[in-house]
Amino acid sequence: MPPTRYDSEIDGEGGTIRVPDAKAGRLKPAFFQAAKTFWPEEESPSIGFRELLNELGFALRRKVATRVETRQISAPLAPLRKVVLGDEVSRVLLAEYAAHQMSERGTEETGWVLLGVRRADEAIVLATIPAGTGRVADEGHVKFDSDVQAFASRVVRQGHKQLTMLGVVHTHPGSLRHPSSGDYRGDIRWVANQKGQQGVFGIGTVDATPDGKAGISWNPAPNVQCLGKLCFSWYVLGAGDRNYRPLAVELSIGPDLGSCLRPIWNELETHAARLNRLAQRLNGVTFEIVPGQQQPTLTMTVPIGEDDKAIRVEMEGKAVRYRLLTPDGTLAADFHEDRVDVGVYLMLSELAAR
Amino acid sequence: MDFRPMTETERKTLVSALRGNAQDGLAVLMDRQTTSFLGTAEEVPDEEVINAIRSVPSHY
Repeated sequence: MPPTRYDSEIDGEGGTIRVPDAKAGRLKPAFFQAAKTFWPEEESPSIGFRELLNELGFALRRKVATRVETRQISAPLAPLRKVVLGDEVSRVLLAEYAAHQMSERGTEETGWVLLGVRRADEAIVLATIPAGTGRVADEGHVKFDSDVQAFASRVVRQGHKQLTMLGVVHTHPGSLRHPSSGDYRGDIRWVANQKGQQGVFGIGTVDATPDGKAGISWNPAPNVQCLGKLCFSWYVLGAGDRNYRPLAVELSIGPDLGSCLRPIWNELETHAARLNRLAQRLNGVTFEIVPGQQQPTLTMTVPIGEDDKAIRVEMEGKAVRYRLLTPDGTLAADFHEDRVDVGVYLMLSELAAR
Repeated sequence: MDFRPMTETERKTLVSALRGNAQDGLAVLMDRQTTSFLGTAEEVPDEEVINAIRSVPSHY
């Protein structure tokens, strides 16, 4: 099967990527294993021969990225030596990857962004945000729906302002357990502008050989975590690095602070752009996920700065309800407007006229 | 006044906090009653995270 060529959506550069089904014609060339000594013999990943040649060709032509212009956000942190996943983070990644495999879009690549905290030489992942149904993806690439993810991060970080962007997980339909050359070209520019000028990158594949311990994950290598056939391999890339480094992965008891978004994900995607604009333009806007009339509901509260009054918008399924919160009770607004920002401004206008 | 050696963890935390204060302007938090070191304010601005998310490149 010939290699597939895709165009980068970021820099406009084309990139020869990998054979979508790398399982065809598996090889374990000795020189490849020598170049990737961090994989133990029994778990060395198998890739297609053409894929291998492409990747090696890119690696040989690759230059140290010293010419990437960087915007220093903060002083460099210590080089990352491990990534720590909260146990719920790990469960969410594996569960959603398994669900993705079973979905209509299961042959496409997908992914998540990772939020968490940096501590010395470790990155602690405390929240995952999925690529979104509006992602642009096929068997050879994925571009996340960043509008939705940006708004989701705003909701997740409301009570956790220490959370920062740590990195990205994406999946490969074949058995390539390493970021591709196309990944490198985008990531090397991206990490140059991140805190500590490093990023954590996870690669999901469905190529593990279950070891018979049903329901128990195992680590065939320090940077690889597998459960059933699912596998996540972890790497770090720093500004100026010529290649990704394997990053040891550990589990710890901890939450996925992004899991609260899953029950209202449809509402979040429907209204993300307008809610994001409101959060930028109005002070003190807060979001909550509360029990609704029939299902979990996304709410937005906008304080209006007089007598402890506030506008509250409830987004439950396709319904959008507007309330006026007063010290004396809650009043329902008697109008229909699906565009949340328009509805809020109509209420503000009405209140200003009184 | 009582003095005691700092533990390794305390020392690392304090050094990290002072470095963050000097290099990044992070606040060093102080116990208002005992004036002892409490930690740092490590809040990350929304826009920094959102910009990072919006700039995530395509992956292949």
